[in-house]
Amino acid sequence: MPADAVFAAEAVTGSRKPDAILVVNGMHRSFGGLAAVDVGHLEVQRGVITALIGPNGAGKTTLFNLLTGFDRPDGGSSTFDGRPVTGLPPHRIARAGMIRTFQLTKALAKMSVLDNMMLAAPHQRGERIVYAPLRSAWRHQERDVEERAGSLLEKFGLADLRDDYAATLSGGQRKLLEMARVLMAEPKMVLLDEPMAGVNPALVESLLHHVRELRDEGLTVLFVEHDMDVVMGISDWVVCMGEGRVISEGRRRSWPPTKR
Amino acid sequence: MDIVIVVADAVRASVGPLGAAYALTAIGLNLHYGYTGLLNFGHVAFLMVGAYGTAVTVDQGGPFWLGILVGVIAAILLGLLFGLPTLRLRVDYLAIVTIAGGEVLRTVIRSGDKDSLTGGVFGITQFATTFFGANPFPEGEYGWGRLAFTERQLWVAVVAWSLVALATILLVLLVRSPWGRVLRSIREDEDAARSLGKNVFAYKLQSLVTGGVIAAFAGMIIAIERQSVHPDTYLPAGTFLAYAVLILGGTASRLGPVLGAVVYWFLFEFTDGFLRGAISAGWIPGASSRRPTSARSE
Repeated sequence: MPADAVFAAEAVTGSRKPDAILVVNGMHRSFGGLAAVDVGHLEVQRGVITALIGPNGAGKTTLFNLLTGFDRPDGGSSTFDGRPVTGLPPHRIARAGMIRTFQLTKALAKMSVLDNMMLAAPHQRGERIVYAPLRSAWRHQERDVEERAGSLLEKFGLADLRDDYAATLSGGQRKLLEMARVLMAEPKMVLLDEPMAGVNPALVESLLHHVRELRDEGLTVLFVEHDMDVVMGISDWVVCMGEGRVISEGRRRSWPPTKR
Repeated sequence: MDIVIVVADAVRASVGPLGAAYALTAIGLNLHYGYTGLLNFGHVAFLMVGAYGTAVTVDQGGPFWLGILVGVIAAILLGLLFGLPTLRLRVDYLAIVTIAGGEVLRTVIRSGDKDSLTGGVFGITQFATTFFGANPFPEGEYGWGRLAFTERQLWVAVVAWSLVALATILLVLLVRSPWGRVLRSIREDEDAARSLGKNVFAYKLQSLVTGGVIAAFAGMIIAIERQSVHPDTYLPAGTFLAYAVLILGGTASRLGPVLGAVVYWFLFEFTDGFLRGAISAGWIPGASSRRPTSARSE
């Protein structure tokens, strides 16, 4: 049970974790005079659900952007799975296995649900322009990708909507689609930016279930959330940010965590 | 006024070489704007470098095939020139750079004197003799009455529409592939594509260059049909005509550009012919009976 592994880590800010998949060192980013992110040391343990909480403006989303290459830090570094990833463009970080979602869902509106899914599959031969016109070069792979997309849609309860445009989905369904699409990309770690925001309570339960399943399949999950019920419901480890810094972190059960 | 003649002339224009050239132009633009979401406002520059690549090469004593090759290479280089500095930035920057870049290039081409490489404002003429020498159609009129083409026009039209068919097939194959899927995802939301591991910049550049090369062929057709290249053929308005054709036919649709081009030229020539007829028949009070200059003439 991966959750038990968190007992090995100390509930101290910047504590060492056994088998950390993501290590952040001295990462800072300021906008004008405002230090949006200033994280001294942070480790995220592999195979664990880590919640990132904090008030609005605490720098959670900015930290996500820095980690995934959507923004560049003014200083500091991060390593993912033993490889330095600071300064890499977003697509390279995604290919390394760290896939993110966005606070406002980015379902590709004028594409079908199935196309949304199939797009995410990695290493597609037919995505190279030289092979693209030669259907025989990628037909088999395309069939495998479609099959995998189909079974994931089944799992997320979107199978009936596979040929509909993503624009027709409800907010909650889009969140589900985005999560399914993340899995399609075969990540090692997923970063979910407020996965439950704007989702009706009935769907929250389903989303929570899927997040737990990600962990049980060996994925690492780092997510930003404001709903404390959700945080207490599924996270193994909680990191709290305020004014750009990591204020404290600890095991979910030992909440409130020990002061620094 | 003979309405039959007006209609016949309009049909003739829409199925002729110019109709085909506009279809090709719009096919290239469709890849940029319809499928990738690139706001390319300097599309006419691709036609210009295609046409000038061919004309200058032949004018300098090169063979015709080399001229075509040079035109294609020029379009690839122009695509890289436009794309490399701007495609990492937001959409608007590409629009600004392409419209300005096209005009800068046109001004440079225009600035030479008669003996310069590009012939300055005099342009270059009579460079497609090899092309017409290879005409398999014997001399004569082809068609019926007003709808007839000379053997030269027919030869250009056949080559031009063949290129349209090839480009359409290529585009259908491309956009149906996973490559096309990535392009559409970039059009919808490029951050989403990035977050899923797609190298958005590379795809945009591929799209820009591929569409640009297709447009370069359109430029060659127009130049060959007239046996002349002239810088003022490539005013920015040309780009917006291409947008009109594309939007008329339907963006991101497979046969949209072809349909748009045919409809556009039909309407354009029909309106032109009809108004001229109406004026000379005295139907429009106060209008000068002097033959108005066509928008197409140089």
